[in-house]
Amino acid sequence: MKLGVFVSDYTITVDTLDRLKAEKLGIILVANGVYHATIKENGKTSPLLDKTPNLYVLSEDLQTRGIAESDVDKRVKVVNYGDVVDLIFNEYEKTAWL
Amino acid sequence: MATLTIGVFPGLVGNMAYDFALKLAAAAVDKGHKVSIWFSGNATGSVKANQKHLKDYSTGEKHLKALLEKGVEMCTCEACTVARGIQKPEGIEGIQWNAMHWYLAKIHGADRVLHIGGE
Repeated sequence: MKLGVFVSDYTITVDTLDRLKAEKLGIILVANGVYHATIKENGKTSPLLDKTPNLYVLSEDLQTRGIAESDVDKRVKVVNYGDVVDLIFNEYEKTAWL
Repeated sequence: MATLTIGVFPGLVGNMAYDFALKLAAAAVDKGHKVSIWFSGNATGSVKANQKHLKDYSTGEKHLKALLEKGVEMCTCEACTVARGIQKPEGIEGIQWNAMHWYLAKIHGADRVLHIGGE
């Protein structure tokens, strides 16, 4: 199963993701979840970014928070709403919302 | 063209997940897909008509009407809605009222489903 997980909050830790088994896992960071792509704590990036190479962050939610794309971790691809639609239909057959 | 069903459970005003759902629906329709939205829980407050659209306030009615015009099919959970004191005549014209089986049928028939939980 190809699973696209929307992470909409910064306080979400990885243990939920650890329970999800997917042939292909994509993490799509939206709303306050975008902070996972930019914030470091004690010099370390979010452990979410180690879960899969398929990482995306919603550009509109970066902009509303005053975060520049240059501040985004290089592993994370910046996408817009249209791209998210394409991800849902073309890359991931199932979705989850955290 | 494919079909997307979105279940929206979080509250309306100021809720980022609710805002996200409507913007995603608009983006999907703009790309030629067919979208249906189910409202349940606190999201059902958004089907009440005559909402005042304040500039910096997230609001449903204006966006819901725009989505209706784009052909998005929308339905609110009748039980959840009347439980919140909203009666059918007070609803936004064009939004259906039904029970959970409407949502289940849409899920069953859709190519993709996104269920956004409530608070």
